[in-house]
Amino acid sequence: MVDNLGFIAAAYVVVWGGIAAYAIGLARRRDRG
Amino acid sequence: MIETTASPFPAIRLRPWLGIVATALASIATWMALLWAPTDAAQGDVYRVIYVHVPTAWLAYLAFVVVFLASIGWLWTRRPWFDALAVSSAEIGVLFTGLFIVSGSIWAKPTWGVWWTWDPRLVTTAIMFLMYLGYLLLRSLSIDFESRATRAAVLGIIAVVDIPIVHLSVLWMNSLHQLPTVMRIGAAPSLDRTMGMTLGISVIAFTFVYLALLVERMSIERVRQQRVLEGRS
Repeated sequence: MVDNLGFIAAAYVVVWGGIAAYAIGLARRRDRG
Repeated sequence: MIETTASPFPAIRLRPWLGIVATALASIATWMALLWAPTDAAQGDVYRVIYVHVPTAWLAYLAFVVVFLASIGWLWTRRPWFDALAVSSAEIGVLFTGLFIVSGSIWAKPTWGVWWTWDPRLVTTAIMFLMYLGYLLLRSLSIDFESRATRAAVLGIIAVVDIPIVHLSVLWMNSLHQLPTVMRIGAAPSLDRTMGMTLGISVIAFTFVYLALLVERMSIERVRQQRVLEGRS
């Protein structure tokens, strides 16, 4: 059993989710010209 | 005299490849971090946050050093390319500093018992975040291309002073935060070999993510510069 799984999952979701959200935002800005 | 046109950004051809390499390395790094690296004897599994926390810190430092170098480049040559590099790197640096603070806060709760404390490392990092947020806000205060780039470059050069303060704050002051484990002055990293290898791959993966985002953001900025500069001439 992995201890503190919620904290580990939260950290990875926040970091990779944040990067993915920024990358999607950049793609939209590029498409808008 | 500054250039009145902005030529197309040549590194844009690398964009798909950087994206593919970054995604592949990030997948490998995440697998190593969550499944391959051993459990820490003292902290248990929660230490695995280190594999996203330290790379985001490294990228915050790297991004703001790039802002510093690009700012010198702009003041020296007046080439808009340097200004595009500076603003792009600053924006990505703010993102990674934010992620650095949030991932640290998530790690702090189970290990220190609090989400936030007025620790020197945390405070100096928050100041760094606000300084570069200020850098981006400063750019929005002027509509003249040259004066905006010059004011921003001056701030970009001054603000880099905070990076060694953030990194060395744990040595200079009494701190709850652990001492540097990887970038130690005059000493080897104090990590287990497997953990060190996982951290190394994570840092490389995040660096490629930074490069992919930087190329994308710069291509947008170069198009914007082209519109502004051609509108002036």
